[in-house]
Amino acid sequence: MRGMKFSFLCRSKPEKTGKRVAIIGAGPAGLTAAGYLVCKGHDVDIYDKMPEPGGLMLFVIPEFRIPVERVRLGAKELEEEFEVTYYPKTKVMEGERQDEGDEFYERVVRLSELKEKYDAVLIATGIWNVRRIGIPGDDLEGIISPLELLFWIKGHELGYVPKEKVPDLKGKKVGIIGAGLTAVDVAFECNRLGAEVEIFYRRTIREAPAGAYEINILRNRGVKWFELVTPKRVIGENGRVKAIELLRTRLGEPDETGRRRPIPIPGSEFQVELDYLVFAIGMVSTPPVNGSYLATDRRGRIVVDSRHMTSVEGIFAAGDVVNGPTKVGRAIKDGLYTAVSIDKWLRGEL
Amino acid sequence: MERKYLYLDYLTCIGCETCETVCAFIHDGNPNIRIYVTENKQYVPINCKHCDDAPCLRVCPTHAIYRDEDGAVRIHEEKCIGCLACLQVCPYGVPFYSLKVKAITKCDMCADRREEGLEPACALMCPAEAIQYGPLEIVLELVKERRAKNIPEHQRELSDEELERSVISGYSVL
Ligand SMILES: Cc1cc2nc3c(=O)[nH]c(=O)nc-3n(C[C@H](O)[C@H](O)[C@H](O)COP(=O)(O)OP(=O)(O)OC[C@H]3O[C@@H](n4cnc5c(N)ncnc54)[C@H](O)[C@@H]3O)c2cc1C
Ligand code: SF4
Ligand code: SF4
Repeated sequence: MRGMKFSFLCRSKPEKTGKRVAIIGAGPAGLTAAGYLVCKGHDVDIYDKMPEPGGLMLFVIPEFRIPVERVRLGAKELEEEFEVTYYPKTKVMEGERQDEGDEFYERVVRLSELKEKYDAVLIATGIWNVRRIGIPGDDLEGIISPLELLFWIKGHELGYVPKEKVPDLKGKKVGIIGAGLTAVDVAFECNRLGAEVEIFYRRTIREAPAGAYEINILRNRGVKWFELVTPKRVIGENGRVKAIELLRTRLGEPDETGRRRPIPIPGSEFQVELDYLVFAIGMVSTPPVNGSYLATDRRGRIVVDSRHMTSVEGIFAAGDVVNGPTKVGRAIKDGLYTAVSIDKWLRGEL
Repeated sequence: MERKYLYLDYLTCIGCETCETVCAFIHDGNPNIRIYVTENKQYVPINCKHCDDAPCLRVCPTHAIYRDEDGAVRIHEEKCIGCLACLQVCPYGVPFYSLKVKAITKCDMCADRREEGLEPACALMCPAEAIQYGPLEIVLELVKERRAKNIPEHQRELSDEELERSVISGYSVL
């Protein structure tokens, strides 16, 4: 196997500019930006809170979609051929906030500190918090965050998580709410580990963001697909999930995303018994700031201008932390064009 | 020089759009590899296969289409009269007419990059390792190695000969 070549634009390191760039977040956006910047002769250091670079590609997305080795070799090439230095297990933060995957970091560095030490800073920290649904019982034991569950499963396979942390899902009933890429991957992994999986979605398979193709593979594997249902409350017993109460929905007029809006039907409640419940209903941007150090929008995404620069001169941002949940290709695109801006800005052309 | 192949394995592709992105990046925003979305929401990149027995090359009335030393099927822009015969016969609908260039444009297997000793960008950056580039033997080996990691639904019992035919896109035109 060959690694991804993040430095695909050049063969070897050109003459050094003497400029130093810190990148926060070693996902596809950060690594691709690093590849561009080293090809322009800048020195790049990458900070990430996880034990190794790769972001969601490495720690969440299943091996059959993106092989670990493909990402690992790519990150290693940047280190060995282009002198990129990684600072793993290092969370960058201005202010404080708990995010998913925080159990892996050992050090904290302040964003303002990096700004002082480097000529430019790029934030590419993605969407490492899970949206809460806000219904009664949504904090019961047995409700697992989709990211956490995937971290445990993949982290265990990568040797970072002890076996005891991975819940024994064999024969257990796992309910998943949502029908995006996350819901589907959680379903794949739980099914593989022997769970009885049921997916609950408020629209129909036609509107499902993961697409009918992926969902039908799961159905062929015995995953149950419930459409036109929405959760009303989680029912517990001794503090643990016992069942979920759902309402049937019907589709109304299209909403701002162009998909028909699901409308709950009053009086249509029914219950499904479960051992575990996963809300895969969306993820939230996690900028390395909590407070007013730099500008974010209503949904917590970092606000950037046409130069991909944040409200702080010299700090840029790219990838899902700016755009919300997208795909690897979109993160790579944003990483590339932001790196072009950083290079121009460092040369005084912007 | 040895014939190179650029093979995109749909059984391995995850539709992440990275190939289209990097292709657009190095071509002023105009990618030669483009994602199409099927009815059941599979994201499918369509690109020139640089066919062994390329119908476009055979049909072109002005011999504007040629094969370079690495095996890439390319356009002599000044010879192209824009008759679109190549588009008519390409099984994948690949060639398109560029009003700016006033000729057909299509993937040239990253000709400029190859001159500098760099490989096609899409193959280097695809996170799923769905795009392989190189001599036939190596491509076949890498495709098989990668397919072994696929879920059973994305594995197929193909003979070596069948896989080879797919890689060289040598489905002979009857
Ligand atoms: C379950 C799941 C399945 C997916 N499947 C697909 C798919 O099949 N195809 C596809 O194209 N896309 C898929 N995606 C989307 C894709 O993974 C993301 O769009 C992409 O990874 C975003 O890249 P990024 O570089 O912006 O962020 P990320 O990949 O999230 O990387 C962010 C990095 O920042 C680090 N970080 C975060 N906060 C801090 C901090 N404070 N300090 C230091 N480091 C920090 C993280 O450790 C991480 O390494 C999937 C996403 C999920 C959740
Ligand atoms: S980069 Fe690879 S996985 Fe992504 S769409 Fe292109 S071929 Fe498919
Ligand atoms: S027929 Fe189509 S796919 Fe084959 S070489 Fe010509 S343009 Fe490429």
